Amino acid sequence: MSSTHAHGPKPPHAFFQHHYDTVEQQAGAAKLGMWVFLATEILMFSGLFLAYFIVRAFYPEMVLGSHELLSKTMGGINTVVLLTSSFTMAMAVRSAQVGDTPGIVRNLYMTIGCALIFMVVKYFEYTGKFSHGIFPGKYFDYERAAAYAAEHGHELVGMPHIFFGVYFTMTGLHGVHVLAGIIVLTWILRRAQKGHFGPQYFTPVENVGLYWHIVDLVWIFLFPLLYLVK
Amino acid sequence: MTTKTFLHGKPIDDVVEVHEHVSPAAAYYKVLGALFVLTGLTYAVSFADLGPASLTVAMVVAFAKATLVAMYFMHLKYDDRFHVFVFLSTVIFVGIFFLFTLFDLGSRTRLNEEQGTFFRVNNGKDWSESQRTNMAEWQAKQKAEAEAKAKGDAKGEGKAAGAAPDAKGDAAKAPAKAP
Repeated sequence: MSSTHAHGPKPPHAFFQHHYDTVEQQAGAAKLGMWVFLATEILMFSGLFLAYFIVRAFYPEMVLGSHELLSKTMGGINTVVLLTSSFTMAMAVRSAQVGDTPGIVRNLYMTIGCALIFMVVKYFEYTGKFSHGIFPGKYFDYERAAAYAAEHGHELVGMPHIFFGVYFTMTGLHGVHVLAGIIVLTWILRRAQKGHFGPQYFTPVENVGLYWHIVDLVWIFLFPLLYLVK
Repeated sequence: MTTKTFLHGKPIDDVVEVHEHVSPAAAYYKVLGALFVLTGLTYAVSFADLGPASLTVAMVVAFAKATLVAMYFMHLKYDDRFHVFVFLSTVIFVGIFFLFTLFDLGSRTRLNEEQGTFFRVNNGKDWSESQRTNMAEWQAKQKAEAEAKAKGDAKGEGKAAGAAPDAKGDAAKAPAKAP
């Protein structure tokens, strides 16, 4: 893009689309679209949260008896990991805003690393539950689960398979979002390495960041409700 | 000659610049620190026996954490106000969804009672053995069973008396208590 005048107007960035009037308008349109998508994400998860609250309201002893089998420490580690990844994501966006490409790449690597740690911890949690017969819904093995609970000084009350159905659906859907996050984070990492992003153009970094923060927000509520609350 | 360009109703001088608030790195470190402190707090509080208050405490802390993430990490504090509107209206609709559903479920027992609605109970066994009943019949039956049981083991585990009166939940409770 060469200008005939040495002091001519600065050209817009390479990803500017001709049907927008300004660069900022293009960025704003993309971001509004992202927010509307995030709204649908919140609404989708809200159905599961409501299911949890209904089960909890009707069968409090069942929920309290079952949740003792979840590892608070594992959940706590994952909370810290996810909060850290949210922080590195915010730093990646900031690096893009100030035009620090190595900073974007470094922070995105850390974010993806945290996402992978999260999934590894989840894998150990899930396999740990499966090995004691704790499966969702009709696959729940009551005898083995009750024996496991008794070993740890807890008692299963009522219909624990309902609680674990809710647990596996909520954390499972959240885990799918983390996996999707890893994919889109890898995509913007590749683009950052190609030098696509800078102070004029960082919409993809910012929007993937918003998605990643929503995944974090959902976990902020999942963790106390499933693992901690008595 | 250039034509004037408008964005959000305001004239824009510079059409190739993005004007976004850039928070200092220190702000992000502080927010992360606050999030860690709040996580430690809920984790520690969960070991204290707060009874029903523990849900309230956990939710207050979770909302505080969510607010920090939304305001600073998601830039809502400095962003176009319309994004705040989209986000908060979503939260309001979630609130309506929760409130109305829980109202309905909370008042259903009484309505069933008033209208003599018939429903099926299966007592945790196969559905082919389920029985058609209504709220009044069913509650009377529960009460009779509880009394019979209380008389039966009058020496007292004290368990039967506690288990029966809660009409809502106990229909399908205790499928196969582990031996």
